[in-house]
Amino acid sequence: MFATRAVGLAIVLMVALTVGALAGCGAQEPAGSETDSGAEPAEGPQEILIGTVLPLTGKESRIGNYQLDGYELAIEQWNEKGGIYVKEFDRRIPIRLISYDDETDQAKTVSLTERLVTVDNVTALLGGYTTTLVFAQSVVPEKYGVPYVNGGGAATKIYDRGFKYVFGTLSPIEILAKTEMDFLKEQIDAGNLPKPSTIVLLWENTSHGKDFQAGVRAKVEEYPDYFEILLDESFELHASDFSALLNKVNSLEADLFLVDAHLPDYILMHRQYTEKGMYHKFITYGARGPDPAAKDALGAATDYVAAAVWWTPDLPYPQVQQFNQDFMEFTERKYGEAKPPQWYAAVTYEAARALFTAIEQAGTLDRDAIRDALDNLVLEPSILPGQRLTFSDSGQALNPFVVVQNMPGGETVIIYPEDAKTGEPVVPVPAK
Amino acid sequence: MTDLLSVTVSGLLLAGLYATMSYGLTMIYGVMKIINLSQAGTFMLAAYVAFTLFTYLGLDPMLSLVIIVPAFFLFGMLLQRLFVSRVPLANTPTLPSLLLLFGIWLVLQNLAYMIWTGDDRSILTSYTYSTINFLGLQLSFTRVMVFLIGLLALFALQAFLTRTYTGKAIRALTQNRPACMLVGIDVDRIAMLAFGIGVAFDALAGTLMSLLYAFTPAFGNTFMLKAFVIIVLGGLQNYYGVAIGALVLALVESWAVMFMPASLQPAIAYTLLVIVLVLMPRGITGLLEGRRTV
Repeated sequence: MFATRAVGLAIVLMVALTVGALAGCGAQEPAGSETDSGAEPAEGPQEILIGTVLPLTGKESRIGNYQLDGYELAIEQWNEKGGIYVKEFDRRIPIRLISYDDETDQAKTVSLTERLVTVDNVTALLGGYTTTLVFAQSVVPEKYGVPYVNGGGAATKIYDRGFKYVFGTLSPIEILAKTEMDFLKEQIDAGNLPKPSTIVLLWENTSHGKDFQAGVRAKVEEYPDYFEILLDESFELHASDFSALLNKVNSLEADLFLVDAHLPDYILMHRQYTEKGMYHKFITYGARGPDPAAKDALGAATDYVAAAVWWTPDLPYPQVQQFNQDFMEFTERKYGEAKPPQWYAAVTYEAARALFTAIEQAGTLDRDAIRDALDNLVLEPSILPGQRLTFSDSGQALNPFVVVQNMPGGETVIIYPEDAKTGEPVVPVPAK
Repeated sequence: MTDLLSVTVSGLLLAGLYATMSYGLTMIYGVMKIINLSQAGTFMLAAYVAFTLFTYLGLDPMLSLVIIVPAFFLFGMLLQRLFVSRVPLANTPTLPSLLLLFGIWLVLQNLAYMIWTGDDRSILTSYTYSTINFLGLQLSFTRVMVFLIGLLALFALQAFLTRTYTGKAIRALTQNRPACMLVGIDVDRIAMLAFGIGVAFDALAGTLMSLLYAFTPAFGNTFMLKAFVIIVLGGLQNYYGVAIGALVLALVESWAVMFMPASLQPAIAYTLLVIVLVLMPRGITGLLEGRRTV
C-alpha cells in the first residue's frame, strides 16, 4: 500500500516538475497575461506580441539585462500612449513583450527563438546579445519570415547572408576599428605619437574580432607610413588566462595596444596587463572601456583606456539627455535603484523604437509589410550618433562611432570626432 | 633570451596555482576512486566567499584562508556524509558518482547566481597591481604570493601524509582498500576526512584564484578540466606526479604561445591529455618508474 502510494506520489511529482519546466522555461511575462496571442476579436488583437531571447543569466547576463531594460523602457513609453497605432484597425494596440533567458547558450537561444515564433506566435522579434548568439538566433526569423531587429550583433557576418528580415542598430565593427585608427592618425599628425606607430593587434577569435582586425588592417594598408603591425593574433573568447599571451606582447614594446574583446575578456586581460606592469602609449579594447562593471572590477587601472562606442550618455543631443533621465527613472522603478545609462540599453531602446515605428508606418500587423517598412525606415531624431537611424541594404545600421577615453576619477569623455568632443584626449597615456 | 626566461618564470608561477588546484582532485580520486566534478563549484564558491569577506569585512583574501579552508573542510565532509557516501564504491569512477557531483556543481552555480548575480566580480587589494623585480624581470607580487602559498600547501600536505596516522591511512586507502579494512582502518571515516581535505584544497585554490582572476558563477570549469589533465599527467593518485604534471602543463602552455596563436592555447591541455592517455596511461611518474625498473 505504502509502496503504491510512494510510486503514485513520485509520478505526480515528476509530471508536475515536467509541466512546470515546460511552462516556465525561463520566460518572464507579466502576471496574468496570456502566453498565446489567442483568439482575436473582430476589431483586431488586444495586444501586439513581441518576443525576445536574451542572456539574462550566465556569462553575458549583466549586458543581457541592460538590453532587456532598453526594450522594456521603449515598450513602457509606447504603452503609455496606448500602444502602437495600427491603421488597419484604426486604433492603438498595447505591446506585450515575451522574454526568454538563453543563459548565454547558443543552442538555447535558437530553440527559444523558435518557440517565440511557433508557440507564442509573436508578430515580430527583438534580438539578443553577443554577435555569436545573434548570429545563431537570427536564422529563425529568416526561416519563418518574422521581422527581427537587434541591438546586440555588430559583426558583418550576421548581415552578409542575404537575409531579408534581419535588422540591427549596431554599426559594423570594421567601422569601429577604422574610427579608432582615424583618431590615431590624427594623434600621429599632431605629434603625440611616433610615426610610424607600432601596433600589437589582438582580437577575439569570432566574427566580431575578425571584423576588428579587418578594420585595423585596412587602415594600416591605407596609411603605410603611419602604422606598422608587430603582432596580429587572435585569442579564445571567454578565455581563462592571458598571461602567456601578454608575455609575448610585453617583449615587443609596441606603441599601440589594440584589442577587440567582450567585457569578461577585457576585465581579465586588462587586470593581468596591469599586474604585469605593462605600458603602451594608447590602449583600447574595441568597444569596451567605459563600462561601469570594468571600472568596479579594475579600479584605477581603467584610467586612459579608450574605446569606440555606438553610443555614450555624454552625446550632446537633447534626446540623449531625455533618454538618460527616462532610463534612470525606469530602472529605479524596476530595481529600486537607478542604473547608469549604458550603450547596451540605448541600442536596444532604438531597436525597439525602430520596430514599433515600422509597425505604425506599415499600418498593419502583416509581417512582410513590417519588414518593408523597416527597409525604408528613417528614425529621426535618433539617440545614436548622427541622430538618424536607417538600415542599409544588408539590414545593418551605418551610424558613426564616437571615441571615448576614461579619465582619472571615473569620468569618461568623448575625444573624437571633433564636433562631439567633451574633453581632450590624453595621448600618450602617462606611464604609471 | 630574456623573453624565454620571462615566459619560463611566468610558467613556473602558474604551475604553483595549477598544482594547488589539482591536489584536491587527486586526493578524492585516490581514496574514493571518484572524479570530483563539483570541484569547479568549490573554486567558484570559495572565490565568492573571499570576495564577500573582503567587501563587507575588509578581510584580505590571504588572511581569509584561515576561515575559508576550515569552513570548506567541514563543508566537504558534510557533502561526503550526506551524498557521496551513498554512491556505491568501485575501482573506477561510476556514472552515479559523476552525475551526483555534476549535479552538486550545478546547484552551487545556481545558488551563486541567486546570491551574487551573474556580474563579473574581482578583488582589488592594495597589492593587486604591485610588481617586484627579480633578475631584471617584473613579476606580479600577487602571482608570487600565490605561488609561495601553493608551495607551502604542498609541504604541509606532504608532512600530513607522511607524519600523521590519518595521512598514512589516506595513503594506505589510496593503495589498497581491502587491506585497510583487514587491518582495522575506519575506511568510512578516512574517506570522509579525505573528501573534506580535498574540498579544502579546492577552496584554497579558489581563494587564490580570486586574487588573480575576475569571476562569475560560471567560473572554474576551465580550471577543473586543467586539473583533470594534470592528475592524468601525474598518474592519477601521485602527489609528486601532480606537481610534475602541473609544471609540464604550465610550461608547455606558456612556451607554446611564443610559437603558435594564443587562440589555440586551450587545445594544448587536451592534446596533452590525449597523448598521455595513449602513450603513457600511468602518467609521467608511471613512465619514470617504468624506466627505473628497466
